Amino acid sequence: MIQQQYIDSGALEAYVMGSASDQEVKELLYMKATYPEVNFALQQLEVDMEHIAQQMAVIPPVRTWGKISETIDELIVRPVDNPEQYQTDKDDHNFTTGNQNNGPHYIEVESESNTMKINKVWKWVFAAVFVLGKIFLGFAIYFYLENRQAQLQINDLKTELRQLKK
Amino acid sequence: MKPQLVNADTSLQANLSTKQDLFNRFGGMLLGYISEVVKSSAEAEQYLIDIFSQLQAADIRDITAPGKNTFIYLQSMARKKLASFVATVDECADVTPIVNDNKFVNLMAPEQQVVFCGMHYHGKTITKMAAELNKPEATIKQLLREAFTVIRSNK
Repeated sequence: MIQQQYIDSGALEAYVMGSASDQEVKELLYMKATYPEVNFALQQLEVDMEHIAQQMAVIPPVRTWGKISETIDELIVRPVDNPEQYQTDKDDHNFTTGNQNNGPHYIEVESESNTMKINKVWKWVFAAVFVLGKIFLGFAIYFYLENRQAQLQINDLKTELRQLKK
Repeated sequence: MKPQLVNADTSLQANLSTKQDLFNRFGGMLLGYISEVVKSSAEAEQYLIDIFSQLQAADIRDITAPGKNTFIYLQSMARKKLASFVATVDECADVTPIVNDNKFVNLMAPEQQVVFCGMHYHGKTITKMAAELNKPEATIKQLLREAFTVIRSNK
């Protein structure tokens, strides 16, 4: 039988030892899929390999898993974010940051920017301040001119009084 | 976004757990094999750490799939990792095991030992062994098969 000849050829042993060429691997996979006897013989050889390894096993030092775990821990993702913090309010601005207590969740780029976002209410505050500023400026100019006019009139009156006294 | 993050996190934890399980089951066997090859406990441990650290989720899924012998695949990964190392060491017969004597190898005939040791610990191919021993490839395969017969009959 062809499958028995194949098993006896030693190709399976070469495969489990990782010494088979690509062509031999392809052939083995075909034979394994086609003939259950080949598959069974291969499984037996794998068990044999495992048995040799068990015989030669060395208990790893306790620290070994710790070292492996350390490298894995570096890849652990941060706690799950709340998607609501990425939503804007009804005016489509002011991102809310729901998880502020859990530490920074963004890359800090704001300090590099020349612009800032503020609430729309401030627009009216600035307008009111501007208008009030203009009104006060108008009053200041008015009273300054009034004061200057008054000073001139006083000076004129003082001059008239001096002339009358003479 | 939330479900994806949750899945990624859960998946990572699951992988970590599976990896630890693989380490507990096969770490000692792999360390024994690697120690036989590199002949240095510290180096062998470092190889073991590298193998398990670099084990990806896809690798874990692949090697733990039903019908696959997980240890054989892990050993195959170790062989690939050790390939550059074994290319720089002397022949099998010239080195002394540092861990303990392999009782199966000791029971083999000298030619079987050379073939088994050369292929198992030094990653040599059938073609290379045939060239080194000046024998046909069929004879090398036969010697290898006989070596396994010795192992099986002395389990």
